[in-house]
Amino acid sequence: MRWGEGPSTIQAPLLSVASVSKIFGGGRALFGGPRVAVRAVDGVSLDLCAGETLGLVGETGSGKSTLGRLVLRLIDPTSGRITFAGEDLTAKSMAEVRRLRGSIQMVFQDPYGSLDPRMSVGALIAEPMIVHGAPRAGIAGRVSEIMGLVGLDARLAHRYPHQFSGGQRQRIGIARAMALSPKLLVLDEPVSALDVSIQAQILNLLRDIQKRTGMAYLFIAHDLAVVRHVSNRVAVMYLGRIVETGPRDSIYGTPRHPYTKSLLSAVPLASPALERTRSRIPVYGEISSGTAVPSGCRFHPRCFRARLVAAAGKVPTVASGDGIIPAACGQQDPKLEGPTAEHLAACHFGPEHDDRIATRQSAGGRS
Amino acid sequence: MTTSTTAPVLSIRGLTTTFPGPRGEIVIVDDVSLDVGRGETLAVVGESGSGKTMTFHSALGLVPSPGRVVAGQVLLDGADLLRLSPRELRQRRGAEIAIVFQDPLTALNPVFTIGDQIGEVLRAHTRLSRAASRRRAIETLERVHIPDPHRRVDDFPHQFSGGMRQRALIAMAIALEPKILVADEPTTALDVTVQAQVLELLAGLKRETGMGLVLITHDLGVVARHANRVAVMYAGRVMEQGTAERVFENPRHPYTLSLFRSIPHLDTPAGIDLTPIEGVPPNPALLPPGCAFEPRCFLAGGRDVCSARRPALTPSDVPEHLSRCWHWTELAADRSPS
Amino acid sequence: MSAEEGATDLTVAPSAWRQLAGSLRDHLRHPGLAVGTGLLGVLFVVALIAPWIAPYPPLKTNMSNTLAPISGAHWLGTDQFGRDVLSRILLGTQVSLQVAFAVVALSLTAGTLIGAIAGFAGGWIERITLVIIDILLAFPGFLFALALVAARGSSLESVIIAVAIAFTPRVAAVMRSVVLTIKPRPFIESSRAIGMSEWRVLWRHVIPNALPPVIVVATVSAATAILAEAGLSFLGLGVQPPTPTWGNIIADGNALITTNPWISLSAGFCIAIAVIAFNLLGDGLRDTLDPQMKRQTGRGLL
Repeated sequence: MRWGEGPSTIQAPLLSVASVSKIFGGGRALFGGPRVAVRAVDGVSLDLCAGETLGLVGETGSGKSTLGRLVLRLIDPTSGRITFAGEDLTAKSMAEVRRLRGSIQMVFQDPYGSLDPRMSVGALIAEPMIVHGAPRAGIAGRVSEIMGLVGLDARLAHRYPHQFSGGQRQRIGIARAMALSPKLLVLDEPVSALDVSIQAQILNLLRDIQKRTGMAYLFIAHDLAVVRHVSNRVAVMYLGRIVETGPRDSIYGTPRHPYTKSLLSAVPLASPALERTRSRIPVYGEISSGTAVPSGCRFHPRCFRARLVAAAGKVPTVASGDGIIPAACGQQDPKLEGPTAEHLAACHFGPEHDDRIATRQSAGGRS
Repeated sequence: MTTSTTAPVLSIRGLTTTFPGPRGEIVIVDDVSLDVGRGETLAVVGESGSGKTMTFHSALGLVPSPGRVVAGQVLLDGADLLRLSPRELRQRRGAEIAIVFQDPLTALNPVFTIGDQIGEVLRAHTRLSRAASRRRAIETLERVHIPDPHRRVDDFPHQFSGGMRQRALIAMAIALEPKILVADEPTTALDVTVQAQVLELLAGLKRETGMGLVLITHDLGVVARHANRVAVMYAGRVMEQGTAERVFENPRHPYTLSLFRSIPHLDTPAGIDLTPIEGVPPNPALLPPGCAFEPRCFLAGGRDVCSARRPALTPSDVPEHLSRCWHWTELAADRSPS
Repeated sequence: MSAEEGATDLTVAPSAWRQLAGSLRDHLRHPGLAVGTGLLGVLFVVALIAPWIAPYPPLKTNMSNTLAPISGAHWLGTDQFGRDVLSRILLGTQVSLQVAFAVVALSLTAGTLIGAIAGFAGGWIERITLVIIDILLAFPGFLFALALVAARGSSLESVIIAVAIAFTPRVAAVMRSVVLTIKPRPFIESSRAIGMSEWRVLWRHVIPNALPPVIVVATVSAATAILAEAGLSFLGLGVQPPTPTWGNIIADGNALITTNPWISLSAGFCIAIAVIAFNLLGDGLRDTLDPQMKRQTGRGLL
């Protein structure tokens, strides 16, 4: 059984995010000047179809977790529109949004903190059903059924979260999210707090559930290998923007954006032989904070391609930091575009400029 | 056992640490023997509960009570750290063997500047004046590539980003040029790109000073990229030990092999099945009498010797590649690529 | 698949009684809690059956036997009206415990609601509530009690209301602090994610998890309530004679402290026992209700 059986792309997307932004802070303090604003998500658009898995990958400050919460309207967007199953979520009242929460659910990162320690497991799984007014009679049966689906012994429903291991608690979290048979599941780092040997169990479980129910997944993670394993399509985020998006194999096999390339280069492979022969792409400096987004392309202070292009000398350049970069990189914000409608990258220059520093494909081939 | 001809800088022999439990002593570190040579990187791999962190805390005399080290030797350049007086041990800690703890945020004191904290390490072990130790602190910050060190030395930890805090911790650790640096999960709290930078930094320092480096981690990629030798730990025991190439290309323990099969790799076809390791990590208070991994082992097949008798750590087909498995030969014969 | 050990069948849910019995047994292992609970149990029983075990009617005067010393007939002697001191002390237990429980009930309920809403809502609701709490806390409780008594007249109800109002802000402040630590925890976000309204999240998730520290504060308030009642009655502002309370027994015995010291002393001793019992109960609950709490909030609570 493979992941990646994917949906048909002919139908309308189940979830559509259009130019959504979320700015924290801002405005003015009570006495004095303007408060610092953090542009956590800055004009993000994406689509997700039924039955598919979109992997959202990025590092600190990328805004991926915030975006996940925006989709559920756990946080309200500052601007933009979110459409789910044809309905405009952003225009609805909180009461209506809460009713819709039956169809969009979330699995959280922390298996230890995301379950109320004072509720039994059965009560935790039943809670969404009770909140949404399911008839009492059928609830116990459904709890047992769901526990079976996630691989938990249904007879343990009376136990409390602290009596379970981390992997089991994550199963409980998944069971709780599935209680109302949602159409879309947002998973925020669902396996990063788990031991390596348990991660595979949970990933397999998620795959099985998707096969069985046809749910769509928005899979948010920082681990590139995990995202590659589960996703049909991938979006790479940096400082609140999507910098590259496309089918999984294109993104991992032929990345276009310099950040994506830097990321892939930085992830070590579990093979000393390959590691010895890989060349590394240098990454300069650190991620700026969301309060001081660089001008022009937000990745330019760290971008190897900008330095290469400037050094080639065929475009106008400006000074930046301790070197020169193309003027376009320093002044204009690139748009997401690409040679095909599917694989888009937000960069002024294409990957053809990278020939001096190139990631060599391993002998085994990355598919 | 080390392959180099010189004696290892750090040699842990038969280290055993226990904690009291309701039904007797619980063994957390079980007869662990590891060597680190000069200029070498040893990676100690394991999941939570494997005992990898407690091994080195034990070696440095940092076992929290009521736990205690009940057996073994920890030889640092000939001197047994476990037999030293507290004062002598303190003299060596920081100066000859240093540890960089896991979480850079909580390992730094928030009310002192970075310069003060590095200075504290220096002044605890040397006779440097305040001015001189501040100069040394700035130098150390430069060595770990913290930009603008003259200004940064007076900053507080909260003014540093995660990656820079980790570098500051490393700066504190190398201030006295120790012979061995133990880095406990140095990359877990960091972004991928910063991880790469920090590990390159450690590799560079190792090349410059010839210090030995111990990387405690659960990330197999980090091990593949940076380690010379690997020890795989499970339930407080070393299960497999050897050079990184050998252990990755020719694993000789079912746990190691299962680990490779259960994680997604970037260099293999996408979307193929992961083979999880069934069951849960072991409870150190309830280990079976035989092999600790047997309940989850695909190779055991219910054989009595696995559940009844504890295997010893013995050489496999290559003498320096050790395995704690009765049936490692079966792995040598039937090898599926990781 | 559970990570449990042990021989009992873990898949069968223990009955509610067994769960209760089991948790009681665990709680009572704590020596302070055991002693405190024991003492309070004794006091409770005494209060219940005082009218029946009192050797003499506590209100019955006997002017022919005033100020009798300790004897076999009167274990604590008699007061200046010939009333048996022991019987009065036994009956006084009723008043003290009534005050204690009423104050705890009132301040716990009001304080929990106010503090929880303030902490959870945040914003200006929280700020205004904090200001009011601070003002009330700055007000000397005793002065407030005096004012109330002056307005309503001295009675058991006045004492209870005064002390309860004095304590509610304290409970509210503690509750708010604890709610602030619970608000950011992931399971609160999880309950919003399943579509619960904010009120429901507050009621079903925040308050149950915030109660343990607040319960500890409440037991301390019981001890203080007893002391407050004693003080007010001593001043003649609480329960009026001839109803005996430990406070007015001390008052009665005050003039006779050199000749018949045991009158005041015995009442004082009972107050001390009750206060110690409540304090032990509070400490014990703090340690047993939520082991995490001992490490986190033990010092800052009181």
